[in-house]
Amino acid sequence: MSPRAMQEATFLILTALAAGSQHGYGIITDVREISGGRVRLRAGTLYSALDRLLAADLVVVDGEEVVEGRLRRYYRLTPSGSGLLAAEAARLAANVRAAQPRLKLAGGTT
Amino acid sequence: MSESALERRYRRLLAWYPAAFRQQREEEMLAVLLAAARPGQRRPRPSESFDLIRGAIGTRVRLLGSRPPGQRWADGLALFSITAPVLLLAATVLEIAVPYRLPYRTRFFVLPRAFGPHPQIGGLHLLSFLPFIIALACQAVIVVLVLAGQRWLALGAIAATAGCWIANIYLVPELLQVLSASVFLLAGAALIGSPGPRRGRHLLTWRHGIVLVACVAGVQVSTLMYDAASPFIRFVTQAAPGSGVYFAASVALAAVSALLAASFRLNRYFVLFLAVMFYPYVLQLLPRHGSDDNLIGLPTPQHLTVLFLPALLLSLAAIIAALLPRRPPLLPSLQSGQPPSA
Repeated sequence: MSPRAMQEATFLILTALAAGSQHGYGIITDVREISGGRVRLRAGTLYSALDRLLAADLVVVDGEEVVEGRLRRYYRLTPSGSGLLAAEAARLAANVRAAQPRLKLAGGTT
Repeated sequence: MSESALERRYRRLLAWYPAAFRQQREEEMLAVLLAAARPGQRRPRPSESFDLIRGAIGTRVRLLGSRPPGQRWADGLALFSITAPVLLLAATVLEIAVPYRLPYRTRFFVLPRAFGPHPQIGGLHLLSFLPFIIALACQAVIVVLVLAGQRWLALGAIAATAGCWIANIYLVPELLQVLSASVFLLAGAALIGSPGPRRGRHLLTWRHGIVLVACVAGVQVSTLMYDAASPFIRFVTQAAPGSGVYFAASVALAAVSALLAASFRLNRYFVLFLAVMFYPYVLQLLPRHGSDDNLIGLPTPQHLTVLFLPALLLSLAAIIAALLPRRPPLLPSLQSGQPPSA
């Protein structure tokens, strides 16, 4: 992946996979939950993102199974995927740490 | 309406994706789409349709530069860079070896005396023109250089040969002028835009050879048609002897070449380059069969634009594509050997 700031959808997909391998529909529901219902991934967006992540070796296929006649393919993070997610989380956390005291000074809420 | 109708509609949307992608992902994506569908949902929601079509277009764009070996843009250019000069040299040699022999029976008895015992168009007399010999030798040099994998030397030779042809344009048969111009333009761009003729030589198979032979035969037969239908022949014979047969044979050989290229599944970009290379040649050829029009006879800017704009645009595209950063490799493999851990 490029060193640019990560897109939110990519960040949430990586986050969904951080706890363990997931199949496509599991990622969609997990992302909705993580984002508090704000981000609703569609299949086209999810698989475009997964293809980019697979090409960048940030996720790998972790197996597949057939449930009720339908194919489920599972994905999991690679070590480099975990590393990238950790770096992005640290970057966002640093931004939050920088923003919160200034908001207090400005009389905003945190 | 049953779920199968919804499934069918989703499949119709998934058909927008490239075949290679669908082969790996269609069933998986369909399962996700159906799992996410609302109970009783009859058709894809507009937002889903838009998302899938946008994803399909994005995937197609992304896979452009990462086709399987043998179907890549750069490989097509590499193949063209090595075959086009060979094709041109073969066509030029055949112009000498298989001339159009003028019919003896004309309405003017003076024809044999005025034009010698074996009047003909093309043939060995072309070798009496020094510029033609130089151009022919240059073509041979280009072929030797591309076969030897000497990209930049071949490019230099193409530039020198093109200059030679331009300087002596009226001493070279018209069809060869048109064919040479498009070959030099496109082969030059292919040499710049491809990994080079070494790669082309590596990819070359007997299938390319067969298509090449069919193309060269088509060029030669259509040249004979062009000569047979020339205004001069029609004037002295009040007909165009043999031109109809040659025309039919040319069309048949063109069709055979296209069918062979399709059935051999040759690199599509290689075939595109061949088609664009022949486009001005065919335009030049067609008016001759039935009129005296000659697109290259008076090379006005309009004529040259009509003839060579596609070749020019494709050449620019090849050079620009060479300057762009390399795309990621093929669609990542979805092979997995481990069971899910969760």
